[in-house]
Amino acid sequence: MIRDSKFFIENPYGRWVRDNLFSSSSSAFLTFFAGFMVIYSYRGIVGFILNPERMWTSVTYNMKLYMILAYPDEAMIRVWLSVGLALILGGLSIGFYNSGKTISLGGIFQKLFTISAVIAILIALAPTNTNVIQNDGSIEVVEIIPQDVRMLILVPSLVLTLAFFFLRNVKIKNLFNTAKVNLTYFGLIIASLYFIKIPTISLDSSGERIIPDPFLPIASTTYIPWTILYVGMLLFFFIGSLLKNRDIKIMARLIPISWFLCPLFIFSWIFKKPLVELNTVFSADIPSILVFGVIGFLIIRFSDNESVGVYRTPINIGFLVLSIVVFLLPLVFIFKATMVLLLLLLIVSPAIATTKEGKRQLFIVWVVSLFVLTFLIRGASSDTMLVTPTGSIFGGFSLTWLLAIFGTYASFPLGLALALGRTSTLPVIRIICTGIIEIVRSVPYITWLFFASVMLTVFLPAGVEFNLIIRVLILTAFFSGAYFAEYIRGGLQSIPKGQYEAANAIGMNPFQRIFLVIVPQALRTIIPTLVGSVITSFKDSSLVAIIGLFDILRIGTSVIPAQSQPVVFIGRNLEQLVFLSFFFWVFTFVFSRRSMKFEKRLGLGER
Amino acid sequence: MSIIKTVDVKKWFGDFQALKGISMEVAEGEVLVICGPSGSGKSTFIRCINRLEQHQEGEIVVDGIELTNDLKNIEAIRSEVGMVFQSFNLFPHLTVMQNITLAPIWVRKKSRSESEEKAMELLERVGIPEQAQKFPGQLSGGQQQRVAIARALAMEPKIMLFDEPTSALDPEMIKEVLDAMKELAESGMTMIVVTHEMGFAKEVADRVMLFDEGLMVEENTPNEFFDNPKNDRTKLFLSQIL
Ligand SMILES: Nc1ncnc2c1ncn2[C@@H]1O[C@H](COP(=O)(O)OP(=O)(O)OP(=O)(O)O)[C@@H](O)[C@H]1O
Ligand SMILES: [Mg+2]
Repeated sequence: MIRDSKFFIENPYGRWVRDNLFSSSSSAFLTFFAGFMVIYSYRGIVGFILNPERMWTSVTYNMKLYMILAYPDEAMIRVWLSVGLALILGGLSIGFYNSGKTISLGGIFQKLFTISAVIAILIALAPTNTNVIQNDGSIEVVEIIPQDVRMLILVPSLVLTLAFFFLRNVKIKNLFNTAKVNLTYFGLIIASLYFIKIPTISLDSSGERIIPDPFLPIASTTYIPWTILYVGMLLFFFIGSLLKNRDIKIMARLIPISWFLCPLFIFSWIFKKPLVELNTVFSADIPSILVFGVIGFLIIRFSDNESVGVYRTPINIGFLVLSIVVFLLPLVFIFKATMVLLLLLLIVSPAIATTKEGKRQLFIVWVVSLFVLTFLIRGASSDTMLVTPTGSIFGGFSLTWLLAIFGTYASFPLGLALALGRTSTLPVIRIICTGIIEIVRSVPYITWLFFASVMLTVFLPAGVEFNLIIRVLILTAFFSGAYFAEYIRGGLQSIPKGQYEAANAIGMNPFQRIFLVIVPQALRTIIPTLVGSVITSFKDSSLVAIIGLFDILRIGTSVIPAQSQPVVFIGRNLEQLVFLSFFFWVFTFVFSRRSMKFEKRLGLGER
Repeated sequence: MSIIKTVDVKKWFGDFQALKGISMEVAEGEVLVICGPSGSGKSTFIRCINRLEQHQEGEIVVDGIELTNDLKNIEAIRSEVGMVFQSFNLFPHLTVMQNITLAPIWVRKKSRSESEEKAMELLERVGIPEQAQKFPGQLSGGQQQRVAIARALAMEPKIMLFDEPTSALDPEMIKEVLDAMKELAESGMTMIVVTHEMGFAKEVADRVMLFDEGLMVEENTPNEFFDNPKNDRTKLFLSQIL
């Protein structure tokens, strides 16, 4: 038998193959069958992609359209600033949270070996020819990978595979920091922008004639910005490492807060370029900060005062009535938003503002959040100075991002509140929360989207009109909030009774018990579910295409296939769909891999 | 002056009466051991003392405060009374250090550094200072129970309640927990211990009580309790357990 030959017994790879792929005749059959299917579909896909009928320039030429739709050219720097802010923050976090994990040179070569081996196998298995259907219906066989091109890739990759195979075992003591290695990989990707060439189209300066040689380095217009951003990221990586070494504790709080605020800041100020009128700042923002600053100060100052404590219930009811009044009065939006923040302060201050130190810190936090909130709302609610043909500065991938991030941001606290409300002992709150959850969940998302696009305006009081994107955002928050609520409720129910008792036994009040003991554990048990639902809402955001928003899917399926300038792309649907599937796959794949690592880190406390 | 006083405490779970009138007193610094067969109401009784259960009739006064439905009273009493559970009930998402400092920081409003210093002292006292940065899931049962003791002590309670602290433990770990409790008793802490560890009762207790079917059937000094029990029920119980 071949199975018992020397190679399959003595060689470790041979033994792995023998034990895992051919352990019995049925598993050998399955291995062959699956292998055949994989190779068959792979060759089919490659044949499809390289078929001369495909016109991939329809994707590459429209890359900018895909990302930002009709964002004005002269404001492009704002798009780059937005990306740059995220990258800089990324660099800072990688440096600051660097776990110090290392990888040996052998380990790096092992990875490179795998990569080059996979490339060699893929190239070797790729089909040489494919069928093209001619106009008269006959089928012609066309060569898609010329022999010399195949060899040009295959030979070097085989040589590299062999080289790395032997280099894997080098016994060099040098260890490399994984974070730095990963940054280097990212740098190599950026560098590839300079030399990897893919077909695209460029126009001459008059904007009418297509420049004949269509092979340009990938993203020929973007490598300079990417390089600058990469350098910035590196710089902040080193700043982050420095802060870590200096052991600057405050950063451990500032970085997560910055991550939270970063998208809000980008969308409301950088990407938007708001038109801020000074008189509204003086007539609304500054009065709001002053009034709420003083009220907040009083709440913090007297939160543990004995004589005020007697009137706690009437005071709380008073604030509740006040907030309803503020919401009904035709006040500027900033007052209403800050009122919500004030209610939050009212809830937390009895738990925190009990010592002089606690009061001081809470007051600082209060003032800072007042300024941040006012600043963000000022940007978000002002008109934009940018003019676009579609009337909205969001479109394509930037719209997808906007929906995904705000959907997550808003639905998370909403879901938590609904879940806690549904498990509350107060019947009114419980019934309201249960009602919201059940109604929202029992109607499909698409139906809600139509509701948002046509009916929501009917329900709103006269004169109140929101832009369609904002209506969709509110709706998405409720929709995913209702689902989040049920997941979180499941998590809450999984917490054993002993945890409540232990929290009670050390004298915690109900507020502390819920937010310090129960909720953190509940959230941890449902992270996989939450990640799944964030990914779902990321993908589902493409449904907004059906109510007329230009998201990335609509651009791919109806805008580009209708283009006839500068080149005719009419009917180029397939290319767009292939590209979009790949695009969504990359994002969700990276996201779920990241969250798996995150889960492992959090799982430390569990047995 | 007694620090705990109960008068004719009765407690029903639906139709079932778990406590049928318990009157007792515990003096400051006293160590009281409660034993009795399963289902006799021992846990229910000590859980009434920090109001994890509510009694329906009778009166419980702890450190001069009567237990009523007033929330302020309950929180005040709970921070004076520490409790150690059979199943440890540590917070699995927090490290040992965070488990211990959580209540001092949030309930007692102490500074973090002060609480951490105190927590290290307590961990040394129960013999596991080196485990401070681990998570509960990474510790053995005996170590977890000692963390639970340290967590209760971090609130600087006047009274400690123990509900069968060793019965979920493997035999080789029981001793380390009992040693920590012994040390605590010697330091003058008022303790009520529900346990079947008769060796511990003989050696440490000032008084031993036997519960049966919701009643306290015997109350005695350890010597008398083991060598010369007054009640037939006690004789039967001892013959079964020893
Ligand atoms: N939450 C509850 N609901 C209904 N019955 C209960 C509840 N808790 C306890 N009981 C009942 O009350 C009685 C006393 O229970 P308790 O837990 O106090 O017994 P115990 O003496 O601690 O027993 P063990 O030694 O097994 O722990 C038991 O019969 C039990 O079934
Ligand atoms: Mg019990």
